[in-house]
Amino acid sequence: MKKITVAILSLVFLTTALFAQENSQEKVRQKGHYNSSKFKQLDEELPTPNKQHTASGAPGYEYTQQQVDYKMNIILDDDNQKIFGEETITYHNNSKDALEYLWVQLDQNMRAPNSKSNDINGGGPDVLYTPAKFAKTFMGKPFEGGFNIDYIKDANGNSLNYMINFTMMRVDLPKPLASGEKFVFNIKWWYNINDYMADRGRSGYEPFPDGNNLYVIAQFFPRLAVYNNVKGWQNLQFWGSSEFALEFGNYDVSITTPKDHILNATGVIQNPKDVFTKDQYKRYEAAKTAFDKPVFIVTPEEALAAENGKATSTKTWKFYAENVRDFAFSSSRKFIWDAMAVDFNGKTVMAYSLYPNEGNPLWEEHSTKVVANTLKVYSESTFDYPYPHATSINAERQGMEYPMICWNGGRPDANGKYNDRTKKGMIGVITHEVGHNFFPMIVNSDEREWTWMDEGINSFVEILAEYKYDPELFPLSKYPKNIVRYMAGDQDRLTPIMTQGDNIFNFGSNAYAKPAAGLFILRQTIMGPELFDHAFKTYAKRWKFKHPTPADFFRSMEDASAMDLDWFWRGWFYTTGNNDIGIKEVKKYHVTDKPTEQAENLAKRYGITVDQLPPSLYLISEDSKDYTDDIKGKKPEDYSVLNSYLQDNFTAEEKATLKSPKYFYELVFEKPGDLVMPIIVEFEYEDGTKERKQYPAEIWRLNDDEVTKVFPSSKVISKITVDPDEETADVDTSNNSWPKNTETQFDNFKKKQIKG
Amino acid sequence: MKYRSYLILLISIPLLAFTIHKYYISLCEVEYIPEKQSVQIIISHFIDDLEISLNNEGQKNLFLATNKEVKNSNQIFEAYLNKHLKFTINNKETTYQFIGKEYDDDLVRFYLEIPNIEKLTSIEVENTCLIKDFDDQQNIIKIKVKKFNKTLYLTKNNVKGLLNFQQNN
Repeated sequence: MKKITVAILSLVFLTTALFAQENSQEKVRQKGHYNSSKFKQLDEELPTPNKQHTASGAPGYEYTQQQVDYKMNIILDDDNQKIFGEETITYHNNSKDALEYLWVQLDQNMRAPNSKSNDINGGGPDVLYTPAKFAKTFMGKPFEGGFNIDYIKDANGNSLNYMINFTMMRVDLPKPLASGEKFVFNIKWWYNINDYMADRGRSGYEPFPDGNNLYVIAQFFPRLAVYNNVKGWQNLQFWGSSEFALEFGNYDVSITTPKDHILNATGVIQNPKDVFTKDQYKRYEAAKTAFDKPVFIVTPEEALAAENGKATSTKTWKFYAENVRDFAFSSSRKFIWDAMAVDFNGKTVMAYSLYPNEGNPLWEEHSTKVVANTLKVYSESTFDYPYPHATSINAERQGMEYPMICWNGGRPDANGKYNDRTKKGMIGVITHEVGHNFFPMIVNSDEREWTWMDEGINSFVEILAEYKYDPELFPLSKYPKNIVRYMAGDQDRLTPIMTQGDNIFNFGSNAYAKPAAGLFILRQTIMGPELFDHAFKTYAKRWKFKHPTPADFFRSMEDASAMDLDWFWRGWFYTTGNNDIGIKEVKKYHVTDKPTEQAENLAKRYGITVDQLPPSLYLISEDSKDYTDDIKGKKPEDYSVLNSYLQDNFTAEEKATLKSPKYFYELVFEKPGDLVMPIIVEFEYEDGTKERKQYPAEIWRLNDDEVTKVFPSSKVISKITVDPDEETADVDTSNNSWPKNTETQFDNFKKKQIKG
Repeated sequence: MKYRSYLILLISIPLLAFTIHKYYISLCEVEYIPEKQSVQIIISHFIDDLEISLNNEGQKNLFLATNKEVKNSNQIFEAYLNKHLKFTINNKETTYQFIGKEYDDDLVRFYLEIPNIEKLTSIEVENTCLIKDFDDQQNIIKIKVKKFNKTLYLTKNNVKGLLNFQQNN
């Protein structure tokens, strides 16, 4: 019996194919094509794996990484807003290659008078210019920023040849540096610190009306560029936007400031007794056991007293930082300092905040607690935070991260009042910047090349950390639909996520929100938290203190989850496509034992009579002319052809467990969108109950436009909704329901207004 | 570095006026519904940005989206929009009805309607909202007429956009 059915069915296939050919009037020569499947593997997009970056996404046994150690003496001149430095750099060539020169990054040159960073931006004349803007644009002398290099010498004091190309400097080595060797050299430099409130810089100083300055000192010393296994020397210029790529190393840094300044930096203070007052030192030590709530190291009263004076003498702060990729510090006589201890499996990490009185009461209420929460949530998602402290510093209009230290904006108004938006913004930015300690400070991707790898991945974990801190202020329900408007935008203004950071239109959406939304969808909808979290952690652990590439992330996520996600990376990361899935048509069928018109046609084509068809059941649609009322009430078991089969093949117990569907819905799903995504369907029955079904994205593998499914049900369906919780970033929900909902967002609002 | 991301806008805006790339954006979605002979308009602004702009025009202490919000905020909004957002339909300057507003996270959304448009042949939008307050302000207009979609990017250099539909009708 089985054999006959198969034979008939295969014949049907064959005949249909023949029909199709006969029907076509003209013979159109069809063109062949490459594999255009959205499920095609990414072998052509991803770099070929090797023994350095392996096919599994892990570092291979030939993976190498350079190390650069710095010893620096820094002087901060508060009176003239200048900074002076002498640094000894020890470069360890751990690669297998001999190096003829070293590339050093001079990021401050972005602000030099001859900087080209503004020259790459187009734009016509403004309609109007304020006098200030006019003077600055057309009449003013440019700010005398950028590095002044006093000398570059080797360990013996001999001058080294160097050449400066904008923000990059080539230092020529006297002889090639062989694999495994190190080279020690010295650079003496100084520069004018910019007022970042005026020129919108990523570092500089914030001036206050009381005459004091708050220094945000970062990318402030000549830093070695990355030399790695995939790019050789990282040689993209710093235009001011796409951030940094740096090597790990140890830092031994002395910073001389006015005596009344309070300062914190990357690393641990080596001489706390010299730089704090007796009381402050006591509190600094006591804070190390303050696990419950933040305590002051420098009190608001001490900060107020300091900002009203001005010391003429200086003091020197000594810091040591191990295995960090950068060094930054912040200094001001306005700083209050509070602290809280966080326990990581027996190891204490300090959460610190430094802020001026202007930041209170907001800052003392939240900053340090947010730092602690961020470290905890990120550590759960990746690995225990390995550094001794994490510090959040309040500087207006900032949101910028460095190892262990970051600057964050957000202050109450002059009366100390703030609304929820200010509070939310401040908590959000602290979580984000502290989170950057993990991506990219430790999982050290190349920010200059792939902004999304640190910003996007970090923005994703940020969502989880903010939710943990305050679920009401940071509900998860807005993800991933927050990205819909961007993805539905004008295609001329979109670039794939896999685009170098300087060449994207909308930095925020493209490099932050879209990758974060994508990972959110992967975790919540496609992989599920269990699979996702393990794979994500695997990636983070594999690349901790190393330089991962996008392929390492994509491959690790698949390698550790046994899920093929190439289709997701391809669509979400390599294209500008968006998701739009809808329900196009719904047809209700009943079951009958009378051959339907289609069955009759089948028999005719095969040259047999209807009676010769094997005993069968048929699904008949309600709009068929053969559909009669007596079919309506029938259950499948009412037909003897099925009933006798059940009797013969199942025991009574087995029969009791069988389902008894009465209605059969033919569902036609359409996909006007470019992306493939799972189809999530919610069925609402006449009695008000609901049921969900999720079809995997692979349902689209053979037809990218439309798929049809038969859904059996014992109850009548009254409503069908595709993606009811808006979890797949569907850009057009007007086709997501059946019966079709023609109301627009506008209509809904208007109706509500009239009712209200 | 941090950027806030938003429900609505094409673009996320960096947090708290981040220095290098704070994007100032508004989005205005315009859709013509032939069956209702109506042009439906939804325009969204960041509440903070709009409050600064209103302050600059002399409207102080508004406390928008807080429990202290001034009682006549709708009137203030309506007056602001009438001044800064203008529509010319079929070559005739046309007023719109202010249906209402809603707050959503950091955004405020205004619902405006131009009724009794039997046939749409052209639509011109002038949007000067926030333009003189923020140098980088970009006002994005998305127009949808039947199957036709168009996006305009208005800035201080170009505050107006015109679309003709004669061929399609």
